[in-house]
Amino acid sequence: MLFNKSRIIGGVLSLTVAFTACEKRLDKSPFASVDADQALLTSSDVESALVGAYSRLGDAEVYGGDMFVYSELLGNDNEITWSGTFQGLTQIYNKQIPVNNDFVQDTWTESYEAINVANNVLNAIDKVVDAKKDKVAGEAKFIRAAVYFDLVRLYAKAWNDGNPSSNPGVPLVLKPTADLADAAKVSRNTVAEVYAQIITDLTEAEGQLSTGKTIFANRPSASALLARVYLQQGDYANAAAAADRAIKDGTNSLTGTYAEAFPVNYNAATVPVANTTEDVFAMQVNNTQGVNDFNTYFSPMGRGDITIDPSYFSQYEENDGRLEVYYADGGSIYTGKFDMVYGNVHILRLAEMFLIRAESNFRLGGDPIGGVAPHLDINRIRARAGLDPIDAADLTLDQILLERKLELAFEGNLLHDKKRLEIAVGPLSWNSSRLVLPIPEREIKVNGNLVQNEGY
Amino acid sequence: MAPMKKLTGLMWSFLLLTALTVQAQNRQISGKITDQKDGTPLAGATISVKGTNISTATSADGTFTLNVPADAKTLIISSVGFGQKEVSVSDNISLSLSSADNSLSEVVVVGFGTKIKRDLTGSVAKVGQKELANTPVTSFEGALQGRAAGVQVEQGNGKLGQGIKVRIRGASSVTAGNEPLYVVDGIPVITNNLSGNSAATNPLSDLNTNDIESIEILKDASSAAIYGARGANGVVLITTKRGKAGKSKVDFGFFTGTQEPTRKREFLNSQQYVEYFRQAAVGAGKYDYKYGISGYGSEQEAIDDNLAFVESRLRRYSAGNDDYQTYKVNTDWQEEAFQRAPISEYDLSLSGGNEKTTFYMAGQFLDQKGIIVRNSLKRYNGRLNLDHKFTNWLTVGANLSFARTLNYRVSDDNAFSTPLQSVALSPITPTIDPRTGLLSGESDPNRAGNPGGPNTNYPVYYNPMLSVKGAYYNTIVNRSLGNVYGQAQITNKLSFRTEFGLDQLNQTEEGYYGPITERNTTYPRGGGFTNADQVLNFNTNNFFRYVTNIKDKHDIDAVVGMSFQEQDYFSQGNTAEAFPSPAYKKLTSAGTKSDATSTANEFSFLSYFGRANYKLMDKYLLAVSGRFDGSSRFGKDNKWGFFPAASVGWIISDENFLSNVKWLSFMKLKASYGLTGNAEIGNYSWQTLWTGDGAYGGIPGQRPSQLGNPNLKWENTASFDIGAELGIFENRVSLELDYYVRNTTDLLLQVEVPGTSGFTSQLQNLGKLKNKGFEFTINTQNIVSRDFRWTTNINFGLNRNEVTDLQGQELGVGNYNRAREGQPLGVFVAREFAGADPETGDAIWYKNTVGADGKVDRTPTNNYNEAAEVVIGNPNPDFIYGMRNTFTFRGFEFDIFLQGVQGNDVYDGGGQYMSASGSNGFDNQTTDQLAAWKQPGDKTRVPEARLFFANGTDPSSRYLYDASYLRVKQLTLTYNLPKSVISKIKIDRARVYVRGQNLFTITNYKGWDPEVNADYQATNINQGVDFYSAPQLRTIVFGLNIGL
Repeated sequence: MLFNKSRIIGGVLSLTVAFTACEKRLDKSPFASVDADQALLTSSDVESALVGAYSRLGDAEVYGGDMFVYSELLGNDNEITWSGTFQGLTQIYNKQIPVNNDFVQDTWTESYEAINVANNVLNAIDKVVDAKKDKVAGEAKFIRAAVYFDLVRLYAKAWNDGNPSSNPGVPLVLKPTADLADAAKVSRNTVAEVYAQIITDLTEAEGQLSTGKTIFANRPSASALLARVYLQQGDYANAAAAADRAIKDGTNSLTGTYAEAFPVNYNAATVPVANTTEDVFAMQVNNTQGVNDFNTYFSPMGRGDITIDPSYFSQYEENDGRLEVYYADGGSIYTGKFDMVYGNVHILRLAEMFLIRAESNFRLGGDPIGGVAPHLDINRIRARAGLDPIDAADLTLDQILLERKLELAFEGNLLHDKKRLEIAVGPLSWNSSRLVLPIPEREIKVNGNLVQNEGY
Repeated sequence: MAPMKKLTGLMWSFLLLTALTVQAQNRQISGKITDQKDGTPLAGATISVKGTNISTATSADGTFTLNVPADAKTLIISSVGFGQKEVSVSDNISLSLSSADNSLSEVVVVGFGTKIKRDLTGSVAKVGQKELANTPVTSFEGALQGRAAGVQVEQGNGKLGQGIKVRIRGASSVTAGNEPLYVVDGIPVITNNLSGNSAATNPLSDLNTNDIESIEILKDASSAAIYGARGANGVVLITTKRGKAGKSKVDFGFFTGTQEPTRKREFLNSQQYVEYFRQAAVGAGKYDYKYGISGYGSEQEAIDDNLAFVESRLRRYSAGNDDYQTYKVNTDWQEEAFQRAPISEYDLSLSGGNEKTTFYMAGQFLDQKGIIVRNSLKRYNGRLNLDHKFTNWLTVGANLSFARTLNYRVSDDNAFSTPLQSVALSPITPTIDPRTGLLSGESDPNRAGNPGGPNTNYPVYYNPMLSVKGAYYNTIVNRSLGNVYGQAQITNKLSFRTEFGLDQLNQTEEGYYGPITERNTTYPRGGGFTNADQVLNFNTNNFFRYVTNIKDKHDIDAVVGMSFQEQDYFSQGNTAEAFPSPAYKKLTSAGTKSDATSTANEFSFLSYFGRANYKLMDKYLLAVSGRFDGSSRFGKDNKWGFFPAASVGWIISDENFLSNVKWLSFMKLKASYGLTGNAEIGNYSWQTLWTGDGAYGGIPGQRPSQLGNPNLKWENTASFDIGAELGIFENRVSLELDYYVRNTTDLLLQVEVPGTSGFTSQLQNLGKLKNKGFEFTINTQNIVSRDFRWTTNINFGLNRNEVTDLQGQELGVGNYNRAREGQPLGVFVAREFAGADPETGDAIWYKNTVGADGKVDRTPTNNYNEAAEVVIGNPNPDFIYGMRNTFTFRGFEFDIFLQGVQGNDVYDGGGQYMSASGSNGFDNQTTDQLAAWKQPGDKTRVPEARLFFANGTDPSSRYLYDASYLRVKQLTLTYNLPKSVISKIKIDRARVYVRGQNLFTITNYKGWDPEVNADYQATNINQGVDFYSAPQLRTIVFGLNIGL
């Protein structure tokens, strides 16, 4: 007989042996990820991590736009109307923010995610080939500084509100997290410490980065962000000097018209649009990577949750060419600055540098830093908007600030300018605790060392 | 784990030695087995020699012959659906068996074997084919609901083929899986959710419920520990039907009927809506002026400005005309989301065979429409189960089944495109825009930038009917599930069985979103995606079974073996956008191929197991089992876990001192204790990982994606169970009682870590959780006469779940549900709502802050941040129950089955929009919002209507409801046509029935249906949340079964 019992038993025995050998089949490695100790071995690994840091920076709740949308919603005083359904943003618009606000929480955690990637890059910088070392380090520092700057502006008291050396800022985490021991329960550094770190990072980055057109941060990006930081501190000499360096770098130039700085291609919404000549730094968005939340909330091509009140336009002069980027649709007025669904997120435009240099030089008086008189910088902006020049003698600080407001409208400067200039937001004073985001409730719960902001 | 390997090697050798040394001489016996009811021959009944593995089955005429060892004393006669009997060995045996509904001698499938119910020391619930068959539900779990004590089945919503939550004796884990292990004919099957959106689908719905002979649910450690690693959440053993020797049978089944929502909600009509939002404008103006928010000069100015704004919006939502002023248009948007929903199912099965070979083959077609527009499901099933006696000592067989399921799905609950979100639209908005003659929102001829494209701000939100018209999301699953086995009778006492199973699941998802969906999808020229998933699960079980009886006093039944399971997963996906016209829907026509993905993962389990059952004098029972499990999901030092269990039973009614207690026919006391494990976490969770999904501007990038934990190890559940089984009045009343405690330690917990680390969580073995509970089942035969029979089954399960230790952490902060120490898993935590301030109309909350003196401050505040979060409710029921009454009178059978859940709460997450006193946008409101505060002195729970000044919409007990319910789950009236009639037309069996499912529900819940959990957010913790979730289905079908 073909099958006899002893054969079967023999078969069973060999099966037994075969399956005991299965044990090594218990070792499984992932296919779509790599173990951390294999991730940063070569120069190109670290360079890829740097790109990863940009992608985290570009998260919706960070430089994908939300950090700036908060500024516009919180700083708003009857110029826009919010009618969206994201309750977290309604709360920010109403300046009544519960400590469990989901946007407040996500911006915090996503920001530190970007910082951690940048810290990983800096920690592994020795792996990078010498020819690229400065570029990689400079960009990582730029990203880290950018995130810290907007975190400290949103989650802490303004620089000019009391004593920045004692006001709590945000925790400075400068080393990558390798395991939970490192994910220690950090405390908040002071506002001054955070600003000092930002300036150190940006100054080093400015020295390490080179010039020339790129989608990444370059030397003028670092100069420009530095100008923004100094201006926020009221350090006008440094602000003017940094703005001047960004301008004189020569990589960027103003677009021919205002509208050209905000390119829209209604007929080919899926085709990515490159940075304009004016973009000193912009987050890249295409149909698979990145997101533009200015588009999401301001544009009818997105959710169209933010409409512009008609009264807002009384601030413009009659022939202001910048009015071209506003339009009425279905009885509401929208800004068309962000109509491109896959448009890049404009973070720093060259126009802002002229405005910073003008304002700083005007305030400082004397010989203008960079050798260009404030009225000439202002008139350069006005000329592009099709407006008549202002004589040097007629120029006032209010005119400069109005020019700044209209030129940079809805791009995320509103709240921070109001704080810097100590302008009330409706019934709230510029330093009201309601204009500072709370530390997320989640963070306080998992880290007892974090102190909540006043008023929450 | 080297020592372990040696140990198993030893076990094998020992068993083989034992096997080879046993020899015996034989004698031949024969006999006939009949059905006690009518004396007809019973085909396929099993005759086995007690204490051995020797057995045979009766042929078509009920007869059998069997070679038995010379020393054989007792035969055990059993048959599925009949009670088991023991008789002494004699040359010619004639015996009748009586049918056994839940009776003690019923055969119960346990892991790697069967047992009769009388001898069970563990806790096993059995649901038979009769209770499952022809239930008009998509998946068999739906038919299980309420049928077994301590088994909670919950369907999150009424969409078809969606994930179903099953909890056996409560949830044992916070982060790891809480679903039981599903084993079909010995092989663990694929249960992965492969849904491309955040609403889980249910791979178990590929099974044909009518193929199932029985479902056994292993509830306690002693029964589940043989599945060690996988048993912590209980094990569901599904056994499919097999053929019986004898006359070939053909069975045809058919039912058809309609389905509708169990309930609808009430929303404002046009007049109410217009008046309400004018009221909300006044409220907003007053509030704005009072707090100087916008700096209006006077209250009237503020009111006028808000009223003007509201009028302009009402006009907009009224298709840009003044019809809203006369309430001319009054659209019931809820009705637009529902559709007429027929259901039909067709079954055909053939079965039969001879002494050597038996077969069962069956096919089914299910054609079901959902109650939600666009939702439907079609399923085709086929099965062939074969058993063949190759030689007198070798049996081989195969179970093969395939299924093809086409699910036409709708979006998850949290999407503007999900049809039921249409209730947010204004009743003043017409379904057809009179300006264009097209669906509202479909086209705006004057749109800036894109004239003729979809409206961007009319209606108030994206109209989900545009997705019904211009989009689809179809899922096709092809599934083949099969196994082959061989069973060798090595000696009279020792057998060996090897099983090899394969479960292959291929799923294709295809989505298309036409240009008219642009407002929802941001695809101005349309977009689409395809996803393809392949899951291959293979499994082998190889085990010996040794059965012996020593001196008719000691019964030993031992199983030892190993199993190996591996699952490989591969998936790929593509997205593309911009089509030449809406006529083109396949990606090949898309102008921009925007994304492509592929990914893969694997896991494996290797296990060695053993179990020994010992029975002394037929009344003292002992069972011990153990299993070593290795899993690929843990790091190299923590792969292995050991899961032992032991149980004892005492059939006390067989003791002399109880022999005089006439009313007590049977009584068994039992106790068990054991460990089971849980490894249902993602693959590679212990590793710190980087992922290459960090591309930016078209340049590839990588980033840290997971903070690993090399110390990660098995989660353990230690279970203790004591119980009793009683039979009273000749077993006309049978009662089962169980009390259990299940302690889970080393919880596999997704622990929240400070966000400043760059991560938000890490998987750790941290914390403890406890379930304890009480269950009972009562089966009674109330009236048994020749013509009339009334039986009752009641089951009841009470479970108390408590997260005992999270080392001070709380999970789920930011959500309604939390894992909080000292509270049940998923407890609702939010501010406690105190209604509307009678003076101001502000929403107020109790402060509930604890002062220095330890007293709770119960003063109300209108400052949300000032109120403390407190426990406001519990999504876990106090108890669940089911009750079935069956009445048979001659050919008629009436069956009424009630199912209930008591003491659980549901949070209506949609309340912040639809029951928001018009303060959170132009969403249409539920009619209860008409009770909003209007003037000082008003006492109401609904705060003042204030458009866009959210008044009490933040999470609070305002939106929490008691969701206890009692349902008439199933009601069936059957008529069995008399044999005298049907035999004339050569039909053997024929019955017609009418059946109602979810016929009637009693509840205080205000939403659509109390059995709910919004699909997009459902997790272990997130339970009992309603968010525009489709209600359950009320179904009435007419059916017919014919047997030849």
